[in-house]
Amino acid sequence: MYGELGNKLVQHAKRTQTLAHLPPYQTEMVRAVTREVRELDRDVQQILEPFQGSFDPSQDPATATALLVDHLCMRRNKRCLLAYHRTRTEKLEEMCWNGIDVLEQQQQGIKAGADAQGQLAGGDSASSSSLSPEEEEYVRQYSDMLAAYKGQWTDIDLTGSLEPPRDLFIDVRVLKDAGEIQTEYGAITLTKNSQFYVRHGDVERLIAQGYLQRLS
Amino acid sequence: MADISDILASVSHPASPPSTTDLHALTRAYTAERCAPDLLPYPSALMIRTLSRIRQQISTVEDLSASADSGTKSGFKLIVLQTELERWKWLVRGLLRARIAKIDRYPLHILQNQEADLSGEESEYLRAHQALLERHYGGSFLGAFPAALRRLDDTAGGISMVDGPDTDGAVFVRVLRDVGRVVQQSGDEGMEMKKGDVWVVRWSSVKELVARGDVELV
Repeated sequence: MYGELGNKLVQHAKRTQTLAHLPPYQTEMVRAVTREVRELDRDVQQILEPFQGSFDPSQDPATATALLVDHLCMRRNKRCLLAYHRTRTEKLEEMCWNGIDVLEQQQQGIKAGADAQGQLAGGDSASSSSLSPEEEEYVRQYSDMLAAYKGQWTDIDLTGSLEPPRDLFIDVRVLKDAGEIQTEYGAITLTKNSQFYVRHGDVERLIAQGYLQRLS
Repeated sequence: MADISDILASVSHPASPPSTTDLHALTRAYTAERCAPDLLPYPSALMIRTLSRIRQQISTVEDLSASADSGTKSGFKLIVLQTELERWKWLVRGLLRARIAKIDRYPLHILQNQEADLSGEESEYLRAHQALLERHYGGSFLGAFPAALRRLDDTAGGISMVDGPDTDGAVFVRVLRDVGRVVQQSGDEGMEMKKGDVWVVRWSSVKELVARGDVELV
């Protein structure tokens, strides 16, 4: 039935909104919906062909209705596709703002998946990425653009926390080895399981990336 | 359009030093941007002053911490300065992020109707982002569509593809100056807005008043 696949895509998009990670890109479904649009378009052209460009809707209401249905279906499919892709790109943008390296995460995901399956390590790794190639390209370009925009505000870290600051210094515990960081009070070596009293601004990034945990 | 935040600030704080006025103006700009459904004009004069003040303060902090040999007094002063600095930065960040969120949400609407309200950087960001999105859609599926259906700002069939903010959304406002009767829709009685009142009204009916500085968003 026309429009059914589009509806499924929208349901996928709706589900994506509440998920923490990005589910796999529905390549097949996107292609099928696009194909449906092309078929509908061909249909429209076939209907219009005998009229030689002089079609009068009021003369032939039945044909006019058929055309209208075709047109509406095409537009609806387009909306569904746009909604699906926009939801996914929004998710990706959010990850960029939060400082998550989406591409690296994907690579790790592939590796983990391949390791788990054992034999699939070499050949089929590309298909287990949940991003389409276009999306990967988009992420790459968007993070470049974001970096360029951020770079214009040197004194303000735009991707910083949106919680109002309360304390200048906070207690943090190190969850993963993060190496040495430079602060204005000297260098601190962050080794796992150690605890520090540091300036919030200095470690904000590391907390966001999951190296440190804030102790309240 | 003139920078209204300054006027807003001067209305309720007539005799405070410029830095305090700016802090109030910035806070107000932040609140307004967070509450208004529309994108508001970029407060460029205020932002330039704020940014230069932040830069100045950062170098003061650096000088102080370089010269301070961990004396308690200067150490305390340093902490106060830095805390204050973090708050300013947070306000600026919040304001810019609120704007970016709106820009991302209604890209085409803003490009078509409100580009004058953007700062240079924001307008660059918006254009680059929109170009990226179009390329992404094109590469993913629109490229395979019939040519007549490839546009992103179509208005055929009575539905515009361009999504705009809901200007009839409700906002809370505080009245700063008597403005008399405000009518929300033709036909209703309207309401008498007096100084100090707080109202819940449709954004579209007070947009002008906010721009003039007669009322503020809360």
